[in-house]
Parts: sequence; C-alpha cells; structure tokens
Amino acid sequence: MPAQRDPSARRRYRRAVLGGAPPPSGPGASPLRVLTGTVLDASPHVLVLATATGEARLPMTATTAVWHGGRGGAAALRPGRQALVRMDADGLAADRVWLDIGRVTGTLLSARPDTLEVDLGPHRGRARVALDPRSSQLVQVRHPRLEPGYLVDVLCVRSPAGPRAVGPATSQPGHRADALASPAPDAPVPPETRGTATWWGWPGAPQSTGMGDGTTFAAGPGGDPPGHAVAYPAVEGEDAAGGCGEAPPGCVPLPLLSIGGGLDVVNDCSGRGATLTVAECGCVAARFCDRCVECGTSPRGRIAELGPAAFAALGGDLDAGCFNVTVRWGAEGRAW
Amino acid sequence: MVTVVENVQVLLLAGVLLAACLAKLAVREPVADVPHGHGGLRVHGVPVAQRPARALLLLRGRRAGLVLGLVEGVLGLALLLSSQFLVRVVATIGFAGATWAVMELRAHRPEAGCGCFGGLSVKRVGRRSVVRAMLFTAAAVVSLGASRAGLEVPRLGTGRVAGVLALELALFASLSPELAVLCGRGRGDARARALAVGRRARRDVPCERRHSPIEETLATLHASGAWLTFENSLVSAAPLDVWREGCHRFLVYRARLRDTDMDLVFAVSTAARARTVDHALLPLQATPPPVPASPAPPPPAVVVPAAVVPAVLTRAVPPSSSSAFPLAAPTPA
Repeated sequence: MPAQRDPSARRRYRRAVLGGAPPPSGPGASPLRVLTGTVLDASPHVLVLATATGEARLPMTATTAVWHGGRGGAAALRPGRQALVRMDADGLAADRVWLDIGRVTGTLLSARPDTLEVDLGPHRGRARVALDPRSSQLVQVRHPRLEPGYLVDVLCVRSPAGPRAVGPATSQPGHRADALASPAPDAPVPPETRGTATWWGWPGAPQSTGMGDGTTFAAGPGGDPPGHAVAYPAVEGEDAAGGCGEAPPGCVPLPLLSIGGGLDVVNDCSGRGATLTVAECGCVAARFCDRCVECGTSPRGRIAELGPAAFAALGGDLDAGCFNVTVRWGAEGRAW
Repeated sequence: MVTVVENVQVLLLAGVLLAACLAKLAVREPVADVPHGHGGLRVHGVPVAQRPARALLLLRGRRAGLVLGLVEGVLGLALLLSSQFLVRVVATIGFAGATWAVMELRAHRPEAGCGCFGGLSVKRVGRRSVVRAMLFTAAAVVSLGASRAGLEVPRLGTGRVAGVLALELALFASLSPELAVLCGRGRGDARARALAVGRRARRDVPCERRHSPIEETLATLHASGAWLTFENSLVSAAPLDVWREGCHRFLVYRARLRDTDMDLVFAVSTAARARTVDHALLPLQATPPPVPASPAPPPPAVVVPAAVVPAVLTRAVPPSSSSAFPLAAPTPA
C-alpha cells in the first residue's frame, strides 16, 4: 500500500492521534532553487542544461563560481558533464555550478598509492576510487591514516574509469570506524540536536525512498528529482521500519525513526531549512564523530546525510563537505 | 608503620570487593544500546582484532555479572575473616586480571563502561579507571606481606589504621567515576525509594531511543481497551502500516463501522513501563494529494459524529499536508 507509506499520510495519522497542527511554514528560511542536469552548451552569460523536464537556460554572471575538481572558469562547462546548479537568492541567475562532483564516504578496505577501496555501508556497496599523486597528497593532508579500518571521506569527479578523488571532503576522524564515543544508553534526547550535516552520492542519480519496494521519490514541481531523501543514523530496526540493525549507536543520542519519517533540518550557517524524509539508514554517518567548522564549531556527530540537491538548496557548498545543522524533534511542536 | 600499611590493604581490598559485589547484585546495568550486528569483529566487512574485548563483553551479561559479583563477595569475606596467604594471592591475581580487562575495554570498547561496580560503572572507560585498577593491583601486591585477617587489622592501632585507610579511600574516590553516577541516582526520590526496597534502580533508556520489539507493541495494543473496542470492526488483523517516531509506534488498520470504511490509527508508547495506547479514527483518503508549491492553509476539521463512534475521535483531523521543498522549480526558458 504505497499510499499508506506516504510521509504526508503518516503525518496526518500522527496529528490525528497525538494532536498538533500542520506547521504554518517549513523550518528556517526557504531553500534555494537547485537544478541538476547535463550541460548542453555554455557561454560566459548563459548555461544550457538538459534537465528531466527539458532544456533550461540559466543566466550566468561574473560572480558565478564553477567547480570541477577545484575552482574552474567557464571553460570547465563542457557539454556532457553532469551539473548541479544553485541559483542565487532571487532565483534569477546561477550562483554556484558543480560539475561531475561526487563523494565517497565510508570505511577503508584497502589503500594503495593509486587506489582506495571503500566500503560505503551495507546499503551502498563498495567503491574503488582512483588517486593521482597530487590528489593523494591532498587527501593525506586531512586523512593521515589511510589504513584499513579507518574512515575516509573524499570528493571525487566522474571519469570514464570511475570516481577519481580530487581532495578530502572533511578531515578524517582520529578514531577507527568501530571505536565510537557513544553516548550513555540512558542519555536523554534534547528537544533539538545540533551537529553536522553532510551529503552523499552523485547529483542526478535517482533517490530511493528506502521503502523496500524500489520506488523513488515523486518528481518535484518542475519534474526534476526533488532531493528529499536523507540518510539518518538512528533508523528503527524492527519489522519493516527500514532496518538499521547493522548501524552502530553513533555518537549523538538520536530518537529512533522509521523510513519515511520527517526530519526538520535547519542549516545554522545559512538559516535555510526544510522537512526532509528519512530514506535510508545512515550507517556510515553514524561512524563519524567529527565536527563541522563551517560557521563556528559544531558539536560532534553527523546527524544527517542529505542528497546533493538538498544540501546545496539549504545553502551548503558541496565542495565544503558539511554544514552545521540543527534538527528539531517532536511532532510538529509537540514533544514525543 | 610498614606493617600497618600492608595490613590496611587487606581491609581496603575486602571493602572494595564487597562493595563491588553489592553493586553488581543490587544495581542492574542499563539496557545496552543498539547492538552491533557484526559483533564488533567486522566493520563493514573489515576484520578488526577485537576478540579479547568481545570475550570481556560476554562477562557483562546479567547472569555473568551475578556470578562475578558472588565470587567477589566470597573473596572479600575471605579477606576479612582469613589470614591465609593463599587468599591474598587469589585476590592479587584477580585484581591483576581486572586491570588487564579494564585496559582492554579502554582500548576496544571504552563506551561500554567497565562494569567494575555493576550498573554504576556505565561511564566511558577512561584513564582514571585504568589508574585505579593498577593501584588496586599494587595494593593487592602490598597486601601479600600482611599477616592478619581484615577484621583483625583495627587492633594494630585504630588511629593509624583509620588515617591510612581514609587517605587511600580519598584517593580511590577521586579516581572513581561511579560516585558521580551514584550521586545522580540519589537525586531522584523514586529511584532512592527503589534502592531502599531493593528493586532495580537503573535509569531506563529514554522512550525515544529504546528498542521496543514489535511483539511488545502488539501485546500492549491487544491488552488495551481501545483494541477491545474496535477488534470486531477490523477488516484485517494485519496492520496496513507500522512505523516508529520517537516515543510511539504507530499502527494503521482498516476498520468498517456502520458500513463505512475508515482508517484506525493506534499510537503505542515505546516506554519501558506504563505504556499508553492512543487511537483515532480517520475517514479514508482516496489518493495522496500532490505536493503543493506552498503550504496550504489548514482546512476545517473533520469530526466523526459521536453517534457513529462514541468517544472515539477526540481530536480534529485535518487532511494531509505536505512540506513544500522547492528544490527544483521549473526554469524560465
């Protein structure tokens, strides 16, 4: 019964039983417009993208920043490259463009001078990341322990041979993947939790709803992938709730949620927020007891892994890797 | 003075062993959090050398804890009552083993707590715990030179014995994270009463984080008055949807009341005790509405007439609302 597993239906049911009213608006300021697509053509003033709904012509300005393995100019906007474009606050011109960007986060299985083999967690399989001498040096600056069993988090670009690392996404936690500073089992859950939000995956890839039947999120108003999905470290493992049985406790006391649950996420740096949908167990995020220093130093622990579109829409820079985040708990203003 | 110090160690170790015994028997450890499905031996398929830590964690079970506590109690009593050299040798070996165990736990599973004093030792194993265990072993080694049973030690001179003992107790108290836990427990009157009557005094895992088996939820639901009221109206015994949000597990059933199909929603608490069951009846919704570009104002409430379902629906039931998330609005061509 897909309708029964619709997140909005669940919210309706929850309000019916526990009370509360629909929020007048989403958490925080509105997200920015984000588009994903393939570059068809580009000039210094216009970027033409092939999106899921058709061709989009996006004005570019002198301040539009382009990333392709590092800061690049308009020359990097070559046809065929996968682009994620974040519009400016007015939604009129492209503000940031990321080309062929991707991210590999997980536990190192093996490390050679030219290759990293990474376990992405039970839901995502494994990835082999190519390293060149320059990127290897860059990665090792913030990942001093490239040894099996340690965590790794690198930014990549697409290449015909697979993902190619271009630098570290965040600093490597000093602990092994299994050596977590977990909270006490009886640690209470505060009304809101602050920590780190990161992103995962590749822009343009379909996002599963995590509901076990292979369905993906419905297209957004414009037909593009909506990017609602979020991987959450404390997914209930009982029954068909989503299964997070392989996940460690994590290093933040988080309430248990099922797949399909809502998560009110606010970027502390930009003030932008949205209600995202838990679509996957954040088994990998649970292992990272690190901080984000995008705007001040966040408390330890990754609370959510967003899709790239959602991350950029909330004001995060994909090449920065993280932003400080606040997540409010409770059913629409009510405590649990 | 050397003789006094040696003999005071016997008294100290006997007291520590008896305290550990009492703590293990009286204070249960909190329920472990999410179990590591891989047993801690593999991390996403990467083998991790953790067999000693795993073996140590086996000792943290309730039954193993009781046995260990009883052994400690017997050893403590033996130190108090007997001046046999063998008893002190066994105590020394025991403390040396405990030191190794604490060091292993600190290296591999520090978050699990050392369990030295049962449910009081739930804090992360830190340097203080290791130093304390090493000092206890050193005290046990010193006690090998003693000649008296613990109960006979005060005869060596009450003042000197009390002075050395107080000094050592102050040192060990400063190295014991259990004291803070004990004080925290003492703050709650209910918990203090529970301690007084010998009931379990552990702090429950908060309902938001507690792993509540589905069988427990179903048992709670089936024993509730709401279930008994609507049991005969259910179209199917299997729920249409089950999900968890913090302190509640929700179950949706299809019910037929007065020839009208309705959704019956139960919210069952996931708390360890005093679980509640809330419920509501909702009219069927044909199809989920499309995601609006902006939040719609809340429509008027739909209330089931009391004559149809007496005392069932107590709250207004607004239809579904979706969060607007304009990530990918249409682009101006």
